[in-house]
Amino acid sequence: MLALTAAACSSTSSSSTSSSSSTQASTAPHAGGSLTVFEWNGYSGDWPAGLDPATNINGAATQSQMNAIYGELFELGPKGAIIPDLATGYSITNGGKTITLDIRQGVTFTDGTAFNGAAVLWNIQRDLKSTCTCKPTWMVTSVTSPSPYTVQINLSAPDGAFIDQIFDSIADWIASPTAVQKMGEKAFAVNPVGAGPFEVVSDTLSSVLVLKKNPAYWQKGRPYLDNLTFKTVGGDEAAYEAMLAGEGQVYEGMSTPSLIKQAATHFNVVNESPSTVYDLQLNTLTPPFNNAKARQAIYAATNIQPILAHIFANAYPTAQGFTGPGGICNEPTVPGYQGYDPTLAKTLVQQSGLGSVTIKLGTIQNPVAEETTEALQTEWASVGIKSTIANYPLATLIAQFVSGKWQSMVQTAGAWDPAAGVGVGFRFESTSPFSGVHNTTLNNLLNQAQAVTGLSQRCALYNQAAAYIAQNYFGPFYFAYAPANVAVKNVVGPGITEPLPTVVVQPAILWEDVAYTS
Amino acid sequence: MAASLPDLLVTAETARTRPPRARATAGWARTLRLWVPAGFLILLAAACFLWPQIYPVPKPVGGSVLNAGLPPLSPGHIFGTDPVGNDEFSRILYGGQVSFEVGFAVTAIGLLVGGLLGMTAGYWGGAVDAVISRVLDVLIAFPALVLALAIAEGLGPSEVHVIWALCVFSIPATGRIARSATLALREQTFMLAARLSGTRGPRILLRHVIPNVVPQLMTFSLLGFGVVIILEGALSYLGLGIPLPEASWGSMIAQGQQALTASPDLVLIPSAFLFATVMSLNLVGDALRERWGVR
Amino acid sequence: MAVAEGLRPGARTEFARRALGSPTLRLAGRRVLAAIAVLWGVTFLTYVVMNLLPGDTAQLLLGANATPAEIHQLSIELHLNEPFWVRYGNWLGGVFHGSLGVSLQNGENVTTILGARLPVTAELLLYAFVVSLVLAVGLAVLVARWPNGIMDRLSLVVSMLGLSVAPYVLALVLVYLFAVKVQWFPALGYTSLSTNPVENIKSLTLPAISIGLPLFAVYTRLLRADLVEQLQREDYIVTARAKGMRPWRIVLRHALPNSMFGLITLVALNLGTLIGAAVIIEPIFSLPGVGDILVQSISDHDVPVVEGIVVVFAVVVVVANLLADILYAVLDPRIRYGRVAS
Repeated sequence: MLALTAAACSSTSSSSTSSSSSTQASTAPHAGGSLTVFEWNGYSGDWPAGLDPATNINGAATQSQMNAIYGELFELGPKGAIIPDLATGYSITNGGKTITLDIRQGVTFTDGTAFNGAAVLWNIQRDLKSTCTCKPTWMVTSVTSPSPYTVQINLSAPDGAFIDQIFDSIADWIASPTAVQKMGEKAFAVNPVGAGPFEVVSDTLSSVLVLKKNPAYWQKGRPYLDNLTFKTVGGDEAAYEAMLAGEGQVYEGMSTPSLIKQAATHFNVVNESPSTVYDLQLNTLTPPFNNAKARQAIYAATNIQPILAHIFANAYPTAQGFTGPGGICNEPTVPGYQGYDPTLAKTLVQQSGLGSVTIKLGTIQNPVAEETTEALQTEWASVGIKSTIANYPLATLIAQFVSGKWQSMVQTAGAWDPAAGVGVGFRFESTSPFSGVHNTTLNNLLNQAQAVTGLSQRCALYNQAAAYIAQNYFGPFYFAYAPANVAVKNVVGPGITEPLPTVVVQPAILWEDVAYTS
Repeated sequence: MAASLPDLLVTAETARTRPPRARATAGWARTLRLWVPAGFLILLAAACFLWPQIYPVPKPVGGSVLNAGLPPLSPGHIFGTDPVGNDEFSRILYGGQVSFEVGFAVTAIGLLVGGLLGMTAGYWGGAVDAVISRVLDVLIAFPALVLALAIAEGLGPSEVHVIWALCVFSIPATGRIARSATLALREQTFMLAARLSGTRGPRILLRHVIPNVVPQLMTFSLLGFGVVIILEGALSYLGLGIPLPEASWGSMIAQGQQALTASPDLVLIPSAFLFATVMSLNLVGDALRERWGVR
Repeated sequence: MAVAEGLRPGARTEFARRALGSPTLRLAGRRVLAAIAVLWGVTFLTYVVMNLLPGDTAQLLLGANATPAEIHQLSIELHLNEPFWVRYGNWLGGVFHGSLGVSLQNGENVTTILGARLPVTAELLLYAFVVSLVLAVGLAVLVARWPNGIMDRLSLVVSMLGLSVAPYVLALVLVYLFAVKVQWFPALGYTSLSTNPVENIKSLTLPAISIGLPLFAVYTRLLRADLVEQLQREDYIVTARAKGMRPWRIVLRHALPNSMFGLITLVALNLGTLIGAAVIIEPIFSLPGVGDILVQSISDHDVPVVEGIVVVFAVVVVVANLLADILYAVLDPRIRYGRVAS
């Protein structure tokens, strides 16, 4: 039973650049050129463990680099289209417990060895056995390659989100088994070999990755670019100035709102299709938020509109659930969601005793999170809720969650598919240390929504879950975040001139389709 | 050749050879050189601490988001507002309080503890010197950044913790300078004379060492004040300094640099205040040295 | 004295005997022993501090998705659950065998990591340091010659600017002026010396200025103050002048060496703080040095990497302070011969 839109996108031209939104004279891509891409050292510009799919702990963050080298089995394209790249199709059988992947024929790795079912099988088995916490979380009973160009994965329980989960999984990147075995894992991590649009020229970990066009790439006429270089930068301002100086053409993930506005005067700024939602997690296990009225007070005390308008220049749409307009099952308004009501908030504050404590409000150190948190603190203060802000680096944030001593945290929840990436379960299931909610009904809803294989059924279940969360005031949602990619005006491509849905935080730019227009 | 004598040698003989009227003018100039910058500093510190008590200013935190990102000279916000709507002028005042507090505390502790340690080591020499010097050396060679990070992570960032972390810089620095100054002083003839005349150790320290070492320490400490504020800003830049949404000049600069080209005034204004403060501190230091250069 | 003696027969052996027994050499010997003690103290203190950091190291390394079983497994692998003394002892033992351990993050040899990154940082800091020192001495001498003149006032303003500008702001401003407005230097990136020396210098110039300007400011002010004090108050200056010595000679040959004490002390002190400057400046300019990874390593509790970096910097600082002590003795014979009995 073929799901979704594989058939609609059987050829790659659908992801070409003809629908560019800019109004330049020529938007037709032409071949050739060298492109330098900046990545922030705090996220996507950090690959200390190398670029081997099975050992790259920052795989999800460094997906740009990984995609350029390895390509993907399936790609997530504009408007959520699933694009077959190194796999040509899939079928889900056995009640959702068996997935069969069709592997593209006529492909070779850049070291000349054959790309086939056996190679994919070898990779997936290796991924499942790896000690990296980045390994796929599928409950796999067996993986086989029944024919030279198919791979079959058997699960112990149905998983309706399997293909969506591939996008954020290391299984999407296939390494050359011969190269890994010949070089040894350590050397391979620094000199990876894949079958993607580009091959590695040099790799300085967490600093510079130089790639050149793969002459044997399976897709004729691609990649457009001759050379692709990734450079790590220290921050938005440094990246912006370097682009002004002409030393780079693309910067992924600019997050300083005032700088984004400024950058738009010189460059193309594309806000990707938002699918990850900024929300407030409340720790329902400890006071004060074990009290539902206190939680409701928080809902009623928050007016997200002026924050979005005045800080973020309305770049992000509001959200009342964990889905955004760029992802599946989007539900912009959730029935029963407690909106802004300052009078009610004040009453609830008194009734729940929230006014007599000072809440700890934490978040991660990034401008969007920090500015949102500060604005929230002010809004809450006007209805009598006192709070102190703590902005944590990632390591401390993790420690805070694990210790259980947190009270409220501004975080992100949800992904393109709520069951993929940093999905909903991460924030709302009782088994996750990063969840403030321990509720069996919600657990069941979310698990069912993942297992079921029909999209409309899944969405119905997710809607139920969102309504349940709203009903119990487990945590308010604020806006669907749309990261901004900045690029010079004569570069086009999916993710650069055309918004892509984000799987986790950043979209995966389809580098083979990126080109200069002049 | 006497006619082309460099000015420096002329000033050395000022007190003895200048005619009375010239002496009086020189006296006025000297007074001004001290009190103009000192007065400015006092005014600035007073403004930071007292203005908010006397004159109502918007609160430095909790600004309404509706006022986010206003430029300077907006109505009601003479220095504009920051990206979340807090009034910049108020943040300069309150931030100045924090900066002055941190700068003063770190410098004072450095002077007292470090200075005393260094002078003791330099004067007594021998085992005392060896032990103190080794401890100071370890503190100098130890990366205070690691300690600052540890303190921030373990205890949470706060103004007090920032002061502790920065003292790890200032104590050994002052200590070393004090020690070297004392060493250089120790062998001078007047010191020998004092010892030969039977003056006891602590008295020598008090009457001879301290008055001669303090001028050098003062210049260093006054320069250090400004450096401390910058260092505090550097800690904020790394996420370890004064926690948001509180302000200090250093943390305002650290935050503002994120969008330097978009809103340069967020960096320029606190930097200007910092510049003025550091400049005045230095001028005061110079003037004090001028006066205290006694033997 | 020595000049006359050199003409006597047998003067050379006598000189050698004197040199070996010279107080300077003995002083140096004592200092070396002390330096080793200090080095040990620094590594030990660092280890203690790193261990006091809250949070489970294995959890941090594995990230948010780790299960308790995985965390436990990694703890065993990395010997994280062994007592403090055992771990420190292992590390110290490794050092004596020439191994600085492996990074907890990616298993790479710390020596390899340092080997790749240290030269970048070293070159950057040396560049910043030498240029700022040379310019500072030059300017201070010039300015002390004519105190309170125009140059003095100007240098005061420049120094104050240099001191009050935060290095990360200075870096961004420099990039904006010299890499964006005019394209004299690259905005970021590093070219190694062996690849292209000219590009190498260019890629390090703006970062070096960002680090060096505050240094330059402090050194200039301090040296100027010391010089002026020497020139105004010391009797020997008056004597020299009375003997007919030319003003420049007075400044350079007499005032300057005696004014260097404060500067030498400060320079030796500064070296330790340069690591902090590198931590801030390197990421802004995307220079792959040790500053680039230090903060991340501390956050990740990657103790071997942090210790490795600390050891290197501590050695540099200790050696520098050693040299400073020796320089004191060389510059001021009164110190050389130990203290006068009191």
